[in-house]
Amino acid sequence: MLTKDFYSTILSQTFSPCGNYLIAGDTYGRISVFNLSKIVQTDVVLNKEDLTPRNKITINENGQINSLLSTPSFLLVGVSDILGYNWKTIKSTTVQKPQPDWRIEIPNRKDSFENADINVMIHDKEKNHIFIGCGNNNIYVFDLETRRLLKTLNKHTDYLHSLCNNGTDLISGGEDGVVNLWDIRTYKLTNKIVPHSNEAVARPELGKWIGGVSANEDYILCGGGPKLSLWHYRFLTNSTVFPINDRGIHVAEIHKEKILAGGKSRLFYQMSFVGEIVAEIAVSAVTTYSIAHQEHPFNTLCLAGSSPKIDVCANFMYKNQQLSLY
Amino acid sequence: MVKEDNSSNIKKKRKLANPKTESESDIYKKVVEFEEKESFNRQGSVDAELYFDLCTDIRNLLTEVFNLKQSDPNSKKLKDIQTEIFIKMCLIKKLNRIDKIRHVYGKETLSTEKQKCDSIKLNYQNLVYELHHLVTETNKCLAFKSKDEDIELVPFEEFMKEAPEDVSKKFSNYDENDRDQKHSLRLARLEWELMQRKNLAQLCKSLIEEQKKLEQDLVERKEKLNALRPLLMNIIDSTKPLQEHLDMSLKEMRVDHKLAYLLPDPLYIFYVNVVSYKSVNGLDLTVEIVGEEDEAVQWKECGKNGNFLEEESDEQEQEVEEIVEVKKRRHRKSMQVDPMEEKKKKLLEQHPLKVRIQANLPDGFSLVVFYSYQTRLKIITVASETVLPSNVTGNCAKDVLNGENLLSELIEGDTGLESPNPITKFQIKKVGFASFRSLVPQIGYAYNWAQKVCGMDFLNKKMNSDEVGGTNIEKVLKILFERLESRRALAEQLQLLEQNLLPKLPDCIDYHVNFVCSLTKWCPVTYQKYCQSEFTKMLVEDELVAPSDAFYALNITRGNAVLEALIVIKNNYPQDVPMFSLCIKYNGVYHSDNDDEIRDMERLLNVDIGDKSSSLLSIQIARLQSYFDVYLETTDSKVFPQTVTFIRNVSGRNRKKPLKYCNAGNGIFTQ
Repeated sequence: MLTKDFYSTILSQTFSPCGNYLIAGDTYGRISVFNLSKIVQTDVVLNKEDLTPRNKITINENGQINSLLSTPSFLLVGVSDILGYNWKTIKSTTVQKPQPDWRIEIPNRKDSFENADINVMIHDKEKNHIFIGCGNNNIYVFDLETRRLLKTLNKHTDYLHSLCNNGTDLISGGEDGVVNLWDIRTYKLTNKIVPHSNEAVARPELGKWIGGVSANEDYILCGGGPKLSLWHYRFLTNSTVFPINDRGIHVAEIHKEKILAGGKSRLFYQMSFVGEIVAEIAVSAVTTYSIAHQEHPFNTLCLAGSSPKIDVCANFMYKNQQLSLY
Repeated sequence: MVKEDNSSNIKKKRKLANPKTESESDIYKKVVEFEEKESFNRQGSVDAELYFDLCTDIRNLLTEVFNLKQSDPNSKKLKDIQTEIFIKMCLIKKLNRIDKIRHVYGKETLSTEKQKCDSIKLNYQNLVYELHHLVTETNKCLAFKSKDEDIELVPFEEFMKEAPEDVSKKFSNYDENDRDQKHSLRLARLEWELMQRKNLAQLCKSLIEEQKKLEQDLVERKEKLNALRPLLMNIIDSTKPLQEHLDMSLKEMRVDHKLAYLLPDPLYIFYVNVVSYKSVNGLDLTVEIVGEEDEAVQWKECGKNGNFLEEESDEQEQEVEEIVEVKKRRHRKSMQVDPMEEKKKKLLEQHPLKVRIQANLPDGFSLVVFYSYQTRLKIITVASETVLPSNVTGNCAKDVLNGENLLSELIEGDTGLESPNPITKFQIKKVGFASFRSLVPQIGYAYNWAQKVCGMDFLNKKMNSDEVGGTNIEKVLKILFERLESRRALAEQLQLLEQNLLPKLPDCIDYHVNFVCSLTKWCPVTYQKYCQSEFTKMLVEDELVAPSDAFYALNITRGNAVLEALIVIKNNYPQDVPMFSLCIKYNGVYHSDNDDEIRDMERLLNVDIGDKSSSLLSIQIARLQSYFDVYLETTDSKVFPQTVTFIRNVSGRNRKKPLKYCNAGNGIFTQ
């Protein structure tokens, strides 16, 4: 019998602070909790139960879970509001209907009769701030301590896909095809890149949207409708266009001198800054929407997207294990 | 010797002389008599002495002669002596004669004595023989066993008690050692026994007569009863007009019920259950028993049910023989009936009666199901046909309404292609059939539910024993009618689809009305073709489709964009939603394996359709058309001008298209 699980799509993933659990949020408004500690052991024979969620929590039956954020004491779930769940309730398999400990409501724009999606959440650990990229074109900054809105950044003309904090700046990419750079201290728009206006990276048949942004001190990585490309931070000029075969980038990240990228492609790529492909990982998903990685307590890279399966790589080079939502 | 000869001569002379003269013979006779007397009176010993004396005298005389001759040869004396000697010789002769006669006489006496002795001996032997005979006779007598010894007599005490006194009295002081008394007691007891037996025999005779009388009585009564039947029939016949007048169909029912008794047990259970369920719930259902009544009567009489096992073993023996025979006659085998064939035929024997059920739907569509009982395989098989109203013309529609198709998987996984009886496997193997599946066209489908409604239960993994019999009837009939209804609805939809028309949808369903795209093709495809298609891979890999399902191809076009859909319709439509696999050909080939939007469309169609009404397929196709419009208009709005209303053409991290229709205002599509 064909069930809706067959068509489930995972949009967000995160690890618990201890690193033993993987939490995945899907389009049916559910979060699934996987126990990783057994899966990463290479000498253990796994049965089906080990590879399926130890528990599932339905957060919102009518909306998809676009983003998840792990903080030391709470799991933040982005639906139309930000819901804060105590880790205990998440890990518990006995609680019948887990309730959030608190929620932060997103101020609605007046002309919209829809609740805004929370597409991306990132955590500034130093200040204990969170940056929220929303479906209503705004970026909100909240103090996690007081849960008060600190600032609204409203220069995007379409909804946000991706955010990145490199310590000094906040980089945001959205459906409008613009990569904005904001100063964290002043929350002022300092600069912007418009990749789809650059002929070398533009792919008009796929659109102008930016699905993923990432940055370190020297480079900005972005991709989406336009090809995945690396830009100089200082000069905002294009330095590398990555030669990968995709029909839209949804995930792009600079990780330890390597570029991780995935999207509408059956491969997930690991590349060097100059554009050499280091590794290609065949993924189960039609489109990769989410990656999550950690080094402690064990090296894990989890790739998920439009598939009920999550691919787990221990060495970031090839698929070791496959988790399944059902 | 010479002398004897002489005498014999004399005798002869005498005999010859006899007839000549009487006197002469008399002389002879006298002489003979005299001589005989003489010899008789003389003593032999005296004669012997006389003879010896004579002989000595002769010798002496002879010596004298000799002496004389020597001294004086011419003496006178010689002459005297000679005379003397002659006299003496005559004497000897006389003696001889007497002796002879005496000898004859002796012989004669000896022979008479001998004869006497013989007769005495004979007498003696007769006596000995007689004695022997008598001894054996007595032995026989002694050995003789009288029948009376075998007769069981009443014990002595009882005899004394029950016999009349004049018989028993004399034995009141009976002494066992007295032979005579013992014998007479025995006689008396035997006589008493005889008397009693005679009495009993008479009693028996009288009882037998009584029995005969009663039997006759019975026969008479039976005849009367038999005569009653035509009378009753007459009465029933005469009530017919009244029945007709009152609209009662008792007669047919009676006929049917009479047949029902001839049904094999499983079919009988089913018949009774279904008739009673029908009469309670007032379904439009016709139940009939069809088949040869006579055969069924025969079948019932043979009681084939009971001695089936024996036959089986007989068969095995026969088989051995047959094998031997076949070996012998191998070269002639082709001429003869193959024993295997014969056995195959035997195995597939059906009960002559079948139960026919006709379920009618309002618009002239009806389903006819024949239930038959496989007497050897011991299972119920089902054959079915459908009566279609004349307006059903489409091929797909007809296919869907095909009887076998209709009944398949009434209950999940019940295709009827496997025998529910675990024994069947071995039975068909024994006679050399390949598989039960291959027999299905011949004998019909062996659905599990068919066994269940007939109260047959097999040791099978899936069945629960408490679901047997009557309780199932209701369930199965309900499912059957639901299935009929949904199939009819499906057929209607398919017929329209074949003409590339979208069937009319129920009013309560929200859907976008004004499609720009249009249906261009609807046709059935084979399972193989379905599996070969690239975009059905996921469903096939997950084993969500089975060869028993129905497969169709649908094309929707708008401009130069084509949407190809392969559709699986399960037998239990609409419980299991028809599954769509989509492929859009526009600027490339996109399907759920390389495009999220198409995957999302499939999700909405296959698992998110909501209400499962019988027009589900049409609803799905209507939705699909709107999805295609939205897809094209959001992807390439320059080529495909916007005709639908939506707020955002994409939203969310996954850039979802606004496929969901919302009946607000003029109708709006959201994500």
